[in-house]
Amino acid sequence: MSGLVKSSFSLLKRSIFSTSVRAIVTTKQLHVKEIREQTVGSTLVVEGVPVPSPRKDYLVRAENLVPVPEPLVKSEQPPCYMCALGLEVKHTDVLILSQFVRSDGCMLPRRITGLCRRQQKKIGKMVTMAQKAGLMINLTPKNCAKDPKKRYQHKKFNTYFDESTIFMKRIPKPWEKFRR
Amino acid sequence: MSAFKRVQQWATFARTWHVFDCKWQDPYESAFIIKKYLMGLHKPIYHPMNDCGDVVVCINSRDIALRGDEWRKRAYFHHTGYPGGATWTLAWELHNKDPTMIIRKAVYRAMKGNLQRRHTMERLFIYPGEDVPDDIMQNVTNQIRQWRLVPTRLDHIPEEEVKKFPKIMEYPEDYVLK
Repeated sequence: MSGLVKSSFSLLKRSIFSTSVRAIVTTKQLHVKEIREQTVGSTLVVEGVPVPSPRKDYLVRAENLVPVPEPLVKSEQPPCYMCALGLEVKHTDVLILSQFVRSDGCMLPRRITGLCRRQQKKIGKMVTMAQKAGLMINLTPKNCAKDPKKRYQHKKFNTYFDESTIFMKRIPKPWEKFRR
Repeated sequence: MSAFKRVQQWATFARTWHVFDCKWQDPYESAFIIKKYLMGLHKPIYHPMNDCGDVVVCINSRDIALRGDEWRKRAYFHHTGYPGGATWTLAWELHNKDPTMIIRKAVYRAMKGNLQRRHTMERLFIYPGEDVPDDIMQNVTNQIRQWRLVPTRLDHIPEEEVKKFPKIMEYPEDYVLK
């Protein structure tokens, strides 16, 4: 009901104020693209050049593996590609986690990674853990000092994380195991 | 007593020197490992009245790792004895002042609270870095296994290896590389 009301309001609003901006697409976007900027004389040429994906040859999918992983066989609904592999990823596995981030270290959104909700949350948190531990220091914004030991106050010391706390509502304090 | 038995007796009661690398180790978890060797709990001849503890040399204590937000949540209490003499020092502040103090306090706390632990602690050597005096290092004959693996930073892995590592995520077809 509330959705209906909301959509009718937005329709009404659009009919009165036509401020919505539509992106005009003249070419079909079907490849991984790279933005290239060139200066020819006094004009700046910006073009999106389709390039082959650098990951094409090294891609691993659960259905292509010879002993098919257990989660793919067991589940009724098709799992997402990460769940199907059934990997136990830790926050120190930077070679895996770095595939899910942009060059400035931000986690990619779900529409690009194509993960299920739970895996997106899990990997996003593990990326944060790896960044806080300073394990992916080359994948950080440009103004970063690029050395974890030059950080401020408590952040300059080594920190590790426990992956079992990712889906906990509240992380128990260390002394709580002694409480009855 | 035969010559063999005599040497066996010496070997049984001789102190072994162990080295423990604290790099990326949790001091509170590794304290339980160090404690075992310090007190001699790993020996079949162990008895509380039996002086069979070993010597442990801890190196790289500056590079210990604490879990989660413990650097700014764990506080060390001290009271001078005078009114208003209580201080609470956070773990990162203590580590700034003395990089060997956290591991020393952790091992002290892991042991049972009797007077013997003060003498047992005398057998623990802690060094903030890798440079240990030669007269101590030449005694070391054993290395204690670390509690967790030392993680590798992504920029320390060769670029070729990163590129050829099996990939899980593939970019969607309309993705713009950044």
